[in-house]
Amino acid sequence: MFRKTLAAVLALATTTTLTACGGGGSGAADDGTITLKVMSATVVEKPEGDVERGFADAFMKENPNIKVEFIGTPMNDIYARLTTMATGGDLPDVFTNSPEFSTQASSLGIVEPLDDLLGADYVNGFEKVPLDQARLDGKLQFAPFFTIPTGLLYRKDLFDKAGLQPPKTWDEFRTDAKKLTVDTNDDDVPDRYGFAMVGSNNGSGGSRFIPIMRTFGTQELRKEGDSWATGFDTPEAVSAFQLYGDLVNVDKVVPPGPFQTSYAEAVALMASDKAAMMVTGPHSIGAITAQSPQLEGKLAGAPLPSAPGHETASVLGMLGFSISNQSKHKDAAAKYLQFVLSKQNQLAWNAKTGRLPVRSDAAADPQVQRPELKGFVEAQKYAFQLPQAPFYPRLQVIAAEGYQSVISQKASAQQAAADAAKKTQTEIDQAG
Amino acid sequence: MATTATSVGRFGPAVRRQGAVVRRNRRTGLLFVLPGLLAMVALVVYPLGYGVLISFFKTNLVNQWTWIGLDNYANALQNPAFVKSLGTTVVFAVGTVAGTLLIGMALALLLNQEFRGRTFFRVVLILPWVLPEVVVALLWRWMYNPLYGIVSYYGSTLGLGTEWLEHAGSAKVAVILTSVWKGFPLVMVLLLAGLQGIGKELYEAAAMDGAGAIRSFRHVTLPGLAPVLLITLILESVWWFKHFTIVWLLTGGGPVDSTKVVSISIYQTAFENFQWGRSAAMAVVVFVICLVASAVYRRLIRDEQ
Repeated sequence: MFRKTLAAVLALATTTTLTACGGGGSGAADDGTITLKVMSATVVEKPEGDVERGFADAFMKENPNIKVEFIGTPMNDIYARLTTMATGGDLPDVFTNSPEFSTQASSLGIVEPLDDLLGADYVNGFEKVPLDQARLDGKLQFAPFFTIPTGLLYRKDLFDKAGLQPPKTWDEFRTDAKKLTVDTNDDDVPDRYGFAMVGSNNGSGGSRFIPIMRTFGTQELRKEGDSWATGFDTPEAVSAFQLYGDLVNVDKVVPPGPFQTSYAEAVALMASDKAAMMVTGPHSIGAITAQSPQLEGKLAGAPLPSAPGHETASVLGMLGFSISNQSKHKDAAAKYLQFVLSKQNQLAWNAKTGRLPVRSDAAADPQVQRPELKGFVEAQKYAFQLPQAPFYPRLQVIAAEGYQSVISQKASAQQAAADAAKKTQTEIDQAG
Repeated sequence: MATTATSVGRFGPAVRRQGAVVRRNRRTGLLFVLPGLLAMVALVVYPLGYGVLISFFKTNLVNQWTWIGLDNYANALQNPAFVKSLGTTVVFAVGTVAGTLLIGMALALLLNQEFRGRTFFRVVLILPWVLPEVVVALLWRWMYNPLYGIVSYYGSTLGLGTEWLEHAGSAKVAVILTSVWKGFPLVMVLLLAGLQGIGKELYEAAAMDGAGAIRSFRHVTLPGLAPVLLITLILESVWWFKHFTIVWLLTGGGPVDSTKVVSISIYQTAFENFQWGRSAAMAVVVFVICLVASAVYRRLIRDEQ
């Protein structure tokens, strides 16, 4: 009797445990309500999170049988988390994707191509450049949500006061940065610096350095036949590394501690009036004014300066949403994406966050051409397509290690460039 | 033979009953052990085995599984960056363990004395251990901040500079200092417990023999503490050798790669480069190093005993 009871208890416990452990993803409740799990990197940011949750609330009001459940994950962790979830077969229905990650996501086989789900007419409503970057081998990997083209964000009020125009060349940039580095309380220590450099050794810093390097006229990675080649070992790359070193060690226009300055710290420096320029996208306007409302209307964007004889360059900084091929509710997920990407929502998103719309109808709206965004809209025209190599995120870290070694004077710009080229070549060789 | 048969015949039912009881007890025992055993297999054996298995493949863990034998190990051990990160880890672990042992020992000796407010200090000094590593790292990162950090402020007044995390040497010191701050309370508690197990009569005897404080410490305290010290050394060494959180949040392995401990290399290989097989091979190498180190320590303990 005792054994039978024990067996029954164990069986019940096992079943309960397995039931609790299993599952994941989304499902349909008894009343027919569908739960869509959406993994988003923007929902954990401010002011983006409030706007995105507002979209979901409005969508649920319009579709009472669909419940949207967010899995908020910071941008730095989202790809690792997604990969981990993919290995466990526990993917959300909708997840953040980008040109940097789409090759990896595709090789994991977790993406449902969206061409058929969204329909050709709808797909044609996207802006061409973002749409091209959202495709891999001709298939739409994710629905672009917004772009944040990299440019130069600057304090317009300080520029006007100093009689400066946005710099067109890096030499002008250095001159302006020196003028904007000032000691306001006469203690012989600058209180405001010209340039909030994101000098951390991660993708955030590296992804800003790479377009800067492109403005010198070289590419971190380019296709050569069936293989890849790097431009890290060119004189142009050396100049870019040298620029970073000079800004910190020669011009002294960067606040102390650039290696500790990641995106959030750079935004805080701008918001606290400790820096006058940073390399970023238009979304930082919203992030800065959320911290310092008094800076509203005092920020503006411009395309990145470039080396003489070369064009400016920009990275789209695009994020979008993919639908998991394991999702049981692909149609509902597609419906949600279309709702979020409606003209009204694209413009609301742009108004609150400064991120640029990707739907042609919204992108053409005069709202997007407002003065503070104009420079970024211009920069977007020079956006280059990110090389679709699975190891591409690693190159951003390689670039970051390169400029850190120059800034810390551990290596010359030539050595740093050669080292970056060697590391990149190793990645190319390993990828086969 | 006949006698045996008779004995068995006479005692047969009793022996059989006894055998049945033993078998039932064994089964019951097994049932009691089973949940723990299953939990151990699920939580320790399976992940460990899976990690070792992955190390022999080129894989994305989902749909690509190419057997490549020992290639990942060869690549890892021939990779100068990985070997360098092992060296950095040794420096970090030795520095942190030495620091925690020194401070932990000093405070344990102090708290073993009778004085007013001893309980208060015992509680206060344990606080760094209670705080989560993430909180500790962010707290110290803030204190190291060159613009408004307190460490940078006093560092500059003492001529030590303000940019602690910007230079290879000072960044190493900074991560070790933070880790020592986080780790000394555990050592302190363990050693304090060990100190309280040393009989007072031993100190009295040493005093009667004319031993001063230093000789008492050397000839009574240290031998009395040896087993606890060695266990603490094992725990601390393994713990800090595979440490990740504080270093990652303070420096991210930088400047360049000066504080890139092996756990950061493994993390980046897996979660930034998605090279799961290679990262698993690197993790197995670290596992073996920790295993060998703990075997050496165990041997030392056995010899001591």
